[in-house]
Amino acid sequence: MAVPARGADTQPAPARGSTPAVSATGTKANASVASPPKTVAAAPSGPQPAQHAGTRSASATGTTATARAAAAPATLDLKSLEQRLRDTKAIGVFTKLSLKIQVDDLLADMKAFHGGRSLPPLPELRQSYESLLLKVVTVLQNGDPQLASAVSASRDSIWTLLSDPKKFSEIT
Amino acid sequence: MRCTYGLLMSGVALAAPGFAPAAESLGKDLTATIVLHNMPCDKVVNAKRNSDSDYNASCQDGNRYHVYIDAAGHVAVQKL
Repeated sequence: MAVPARGADTQPAPARGSTPAVSATGTKANASVASPPKTVAAAPSGPQPAQHAGTRSASATGTTATARAAAAPATLDLKSLEQRLRDTKAIGVFTKLSLKIQVDDLLADMKAFHGGRSLPPLPELRQSYESLLLKVVTVLQNGDPQLASAVSASRDSIWTLLSDPKKFSEIT
Repeated sequence: MRCTYGLLMSGVALAAPGFAPAAESLGKDLTATIVLHNMPCDKVVNAKRNSDSDYNASCQDGNRYHVYIDAAGHVAVQKL
């Protein structure tokens, strides 16, 4: 069968960024969404004794601390997450490469945003991010449900890294 | 977005009967790739290899696509 011309109707995934993330093709050493493993400091998990009269009761403080611990993001090891995405057999090379390019695009947009260039506002970037994460989780959930859960659980933590200019500059 | 999600779900969730494991895996890969490029494909039921990383994929709904990695290293999906 003749191979059709690669022109019209072709829809290569755009690639504006240069920092791969979910790559599987080994085209480049990836630094992407990667950063040194970051561990979120654990919030106190047990009740904290009231230090002196006039402070909140031990019980109330403990409840607050427990709530804080529950709300604290889970430990986020971005490097390991990235490596697991590279290594997983749940998705094929084409899929990984397609996702990588979309991650690159998002990173390029975030970089431009933090650079002050007029681009989609943060809520739109957040929507793009959520959409991309949904795609990643969707393609993973049948073949590698554990990784899908890990990615899903890291959603807010990753966004925190992306949306904070200082943290973002550290990972790119 | 919801449409993409739905297609993606159906695409990756269904295994093609009669596919050997490797072919089934390729079928899922191609299905997810096509859908990630926002093109309709319920499930790839046949894939013909043209060369390395270059396939013609036929979807159950009748759509056919050329899926390949272009010179820039990007995945391209071309409707046939």
